[in-house]
Amino acid sequence: MSNVKTVSQEAQAQVANNVPNKKRGPWREVWRRMKQNKAAMVGLVIIGILIFAALTANIIAPYGYDDQNLPGRFQTPNSKHLLGTDNFGRDIFSRIIYGSRISLMVGFIAVGIAALSGGTLGAIAGFYGGKLDNVIMRMIDILLAIPGILLAISIVAALGPGLRNVMIAVGIGAIPGYARIVRASVLSLRDQEFIEAAKAVGANDFRIITKHIIPNSMAPIIVQATLGVANAILAAAGLSFIGLGIQPPTPEWGAMLSSGRNYIRDYPHIATFPGIAIMITIFGLNLLGDGLRDALDPRLKS
Amino acid sequence: MFKSKKLLVLLSMVLVFALFAVGCSQPADTTPDGDTEQPAGDVTVKDTLIVAQGGDPASLDPHATNDQPSARVMKHIYNTLVTQNQQMEVVPALAESWEVIDDLTYEFKLRQDVKFHNGEDFTANDVKFTLLRAKESNHIGHIVGAIDPEGIEIIDDYTIRISTEKPFAPLLAHLSHTASSILNEKAVTEGGEDYGQNPVGTGPFKFVNWVTGDSIELERYDGYHDGPAKMAKVTFRAIVENTTRTIELETGGIDIAYDIQPQDVSRVEGNSDLNLIRGESFTTGYIGFNAAKKPFDDVRVRQAINYAIDIDSIVEAVFQGVGTPAKGPLGPNVWASHQGLEPYGYNVEKAKELMAEAGLADGFKTTIWTNENQQRMDISEIIQNQLRAINIDVEVKVMEWGAYLDGTAAGEHDMFILGWVTVTGDPDYGLYALFHSAQHGAAGNRTFYTNTRVDELLDSARVETDPSMREKFYLEAQEIIRNDAPWIFNNNGENIDGLRKNVKGYMQHPAGHHYLYNVYFE
Repeated sequence: MSNVKTVSQEAQAQVANNVPNKKRGPWREVWRRMKQNKAAMVGLVIIGILIFAALTANIIAPYGYDDQNLPGRFQTPNSKHLLGTDNFGRDIFSRIIYGSRISLMVGFIAVGIAALSGGTLGAIAGFYGGKLDNVIMRMIDILLAIPGILLAISIVAALGPGLRNVMIAVGIGAIPGYARIVRASVLSLRDQEFIEAAKAVGANDFRIITKHIIPNSMAPIIVQATLGVANAILAAAGLSFIGLGIQPPTPEWGAMLSSGRNYIRDYPHIATFPGIAIMITIFGLNLLGDGLRDALDPRLKS
Repeated sequence: MFKSKKLLVLLSMVLVFALFAVGCSQPADTTPDGDTEQPAGDVTVKDTLIVAQGGDPASLDPHATNDQPSARVMKHIYNTLVTQNQQMEVVPALAESWEVIDDLTYEFKLRQDVKFHNGEDFTANDVKFTLLRAKESNHIGHIVGAIDPEGIEIIDDYTIRISTEKPFAPLLAHLSHTASSILNEKAVTEGGEDYGQNPVGTGPFKFVNWVTGDSIELERYDGYHDGPAKMAKVTFRAIVENTTRTIELETGGIDIAYDIQPQDVSRVEGNSDLNLIRGESFTTGYIGFNAAKKPFDDVRVRQAINYAIDIDSIVEAVFQGVGTPAKGPLGPNVWASHQGLEPYGYNVEKAKELMAEAGLADGFKTTIWTNENQQRMDISEIIQNQLRAINIDVEVKVMEWGAYLDGTAAGEHDMFILGWVTVTGDPDYGLYALFHSAQHGAAGNRTFYTNTRVDELLDSARVETDPSMREKFYLEAQEIIRNDAPWIFNNNGENIDGLRKNVKGYMQHPAGHHYLYNVYFE
């Protein structure tokens, strides 16, 4: 008995000692666990490089993304064109760098749309329950019945191709996932004591949801969002590949892959490098997402 | 189970070797066998010709469509009254002879030994029925539009007179169009709505089966009036992906591949199992302006864009040496085509001057439409790039074929890229529909170009019977069209087909619907 007590006292003392230094305690803890996960760090570095490339594209890219040079087309990788040139003589390396802007933008905005609207719907459904819950979740079920990419294709077909519509389409396709995750965690939180306490002191529903429930259900949303960015980038590339996505000459990776496939037997580098760029990005995001999930999972807290 | 690990290793190695040997032996087995057996077993072994093209026919009812994939199949199921041979001379088909009665009327003597695939005799009644039905068609009505419906007169079962409302010089050429294929009244009535899926003709092959989007199977018609064809069966496959079509040809999955793409030409040429056939075609690719819409209603803007685009390097880059830059609206092999027109040439300074004169030195925003055709999409991307030099900001809009045709017919577009095949080889077909102001929209004049002098010339050439006068009219019309610049003349195409080495007797037709009646395997 006494033994146990001392251990917990020690622990308490430790926590107490640490608190002044670490104001954002829980996130520090997550970061500490993340750092131990090598794979997650690799993912983070990849995403970091990507964000850097996207932000500084006009500085680091050696050529513009639409600098055509018809006599110099189909060059294989060389010292002037690191990854060669495409069928219009454009520098593939530069286009991939500019393309990271498009991909990240599509990824983050589409996930933003999905997380925001899906999260709101899920929170309302979970918090109020009853008929409202039933109506919202059945609508989500309808969305869920249609495969995400098919839904995105139909939406783009209806709205017309283009960057904005692709982000909307991919975003809508991902709504059900967020709605269900948020609803589930709201359900598990709704009846806990601290919510009751908040109710008891007279907090209104909006305050309870935004100040108490959402912050406590962030972890699964973050994990879903990180993995969701990967899916969104892939979906956007897929849409562009079939010609419904981003329109030329915007250097979208999927579109580059698609136009390169005509030459794949003679000049495989045109289709290969955008494909590798997509692959590495998705790989990085998935590593990061997995790492975050492990780091955020309360069951692993020691 | 295994006494020792060694045995396991040994067994798995044997397995691997066995698999390896099986995998390797397949090509080794077939090549020598195929080579030695073929001359002996020719007739029995290979009697099906498999042809692949880039699209599935829309319909096999000649009045329900006017597109190349359909025409290529229909050419084998049906016959026309007269037909054009590879040299584009009009020769007898279902009509064994004809004579000109007066400026308006032709009299045709029909063959008496022709039966439809359903066993019905072919008579003058079928001709009258077909032409009246064709005139009602939204798709091809214009091809027989000159014929006077009251003027189709049956003299007897095998003699018929056809008259036009006005003199119409290219009548015979129009009657050899696949759209003028002769149908059987009974078959059409029985077929009803589904006739396009169950066609009945007089041609060398009978329709057997159609797997939508995949293939159409035809079978030799033994009662064909010129004697049975050499192949027992012909299958037309739709292989949309160009690269896949070439690969299928290389691997022997198909015997003939139509429309080999520029980037695959050298690959097919260099393959010792394949033959590449290149020949003239009647295709002219063009970039059109919507001349009814600002700012393209100003001829200076249209000319400026003509100067600002480097057509030679576009054709070189996109078509990679296939075909030639177009000099005018008609291909060089179409009769009365004006090849002496002065090209605009690539001159950005001149383009800027013209834009300034038009008050548009600061440029404008516009769109260019194209369908999902790789070369056209490539061209529009280059144009987008080159027009930036004269401050024109172009948005490329890639559209589905149906929506593209509807939109350009309705005049919703700014600039667009299309091609035109002068199927009949006569300048009337290549100019009237495209530049006459009565043909705005779906009929063919998608630039909404209007010039009364051009209208006059095209009308006069249509009713003129003296070839030298017709030629004069057409040359003048082409000169005006060049100066008015409703088009940027882009390229003259080529027919490029790939054949397996053992395919013999294949001849291209410049209009693109090649005739497989004489094809056989060796």
